Amino acid sequence: MLEVLLQFRHRRFRRDLSAYLDDMLSERARRRLETHLDSCQACRQELAELRSTVEALGSLPMAEVPRSFTLAAAPVAEVRPRPAARRLEFGLRLATATAAFVLALVVVGDFAGLPGDGEEEEGEMPAMLAPAAAETQRAMEAAPAETPAAMTAVPVETPEPLVPGITDVGRLAPEAGTGVSEEEYAEKEAMEGAEVEEEAEAGAANLEDEAEAGAWEVQGVADDEGGLSREEAVRWLEVGLGAAVGVLVIVWAFARFQRSIGNRP
Amino acid sequence: MVIADEGQLIQSSRKGDLDAFNTLVQVYQRQVYNLCLRMLGSAAAEDAAQESFINAYRRLSSFRGGNFRAWLLRIAANICCDELRRRRSRSAASLNATLEAGTPADVPSQLAGPEDEALRRELGRHLQQGLAALPAEQRLAVIFRDIHGLSYEELAEALGCSLGTVKSRIARGRARMREYLMARRELLPGQFRLEE
Repeated sequence: MLEVLLQFRHRRFRRDLSAYLDDMLSERARRRLETHLDSCQACRQELAELRSTVEALGSLPMAEVPRSFTLAAAPVAEVRPRPAARRLEFGLRLATATAAFVLALVVVGDFAGLPGDGEEEEGEMPAMLAPAAAETQRAMEAAPAETPAAMTAVPVETPEPLVPGITDVGRLAPEAGTGVSEEEYAEKEAMEGAEVEEEAEAGAANLEDEAEAGAWEVQGVADDEGGLSREEAVRWLEVGLGAAVGVLVIVWAFARFQRSIGNRP
Repeated sequence: MVIADEGQLIQSSRKGDLDAFNTLVQVYQRQVYNLCLRMLGSAAAEDAAQESFINAYRRLSSFRGGNFRAWLLRIAANICCDELRRRRSRSAASLNATLEAGTPADVPSQLAGPEDEALRRELGRHLQQGLAALPAEQRLAVIFRDIHGLSYEELAEALGCSLGTVKSRIARGRARMREYLMARRELLPGQFRLEE
């Protein structure tokens, strides 16, 4: 157990060596690493090798430009989606996700017997008309016999559009890869987050860095493999979800309508 | 190099002043070209550098202040990554061939004498091959940090990621470079030979 812990600490210190060379460790982490270096020959060796590597890289000369890259004429303006169109697209995506969420709430509420249209009426009516309330009560008693048959498919399918719809809107907002300016706000937040992270406990920070870097690498690989086609795929998925939600709403409304007609005397 | 009236030049460029933009190009073209050279090799570096400046001019309106060099290098980095992606989809073999053929190690050095020059070329060749073996994100991080000398903050801006990610990419990239060079320790020139 102790051996495993020591190995873990050793690996953590090894990861810090690069930042140590650049003087990018916090005072506390730096002192801890230096204490470790005093007693660890392997880390001292690795630090020396790393330093030599960095020096070798730094010794690479900067090549002279083969020609001037100045522009002879102003390039034609880039054809990019207008901001208004982008906002509209974002709004539509958000609307899709919201519609899915609301639909899920309505369907769940409908089946769970939470206050809905019929029950609100029921709450108000006893004060006015007792016979009408009794009628509604009879309708409620008759409903369970029909409901499962009419609505079985709905609750199974609704959660699916809900989750990806919301996730996708959040993830696609920065639109990575489309340009520089779109990510600036996200960048600022991310950098602030990283500064806070730097002040945090060294062990936890390293683990977070590891996880974060891993996530980025996975993202990078996914981007490399998917490219623009993935963006297109997500877009089509959202369109499909929107259509599915629309169909569900129609089916649900139709079923409600049928039920209300069936319950009438 | 940072020019005193960079902000003014950017403002003028945004208004369509091509001469002002070309002044900025002259200031940063060496850095942009060298980034493309290290990422893509000499065959494609020229085109990528030119495309970077064309894209930069087109997107000037989206530059919202901050570090212009990092912004410009980020555009160049995106173009390099796009090119690498295109190449990967075509053929992995041609990528290696291009990178090795067009290494920028044959740049004249400050050292005197043909022997030193040969040693430096040899080291440059190994370093370039080591860089070519890195994943694109780590390669960018190492090139920006150790060759271009960008600060971590500039790197975060140029790569569009957090400081934590920057640290991690540099550390991983350097660790791989160290392993690559250590595996060829006996081939390295004496003046750069890593300590035992």
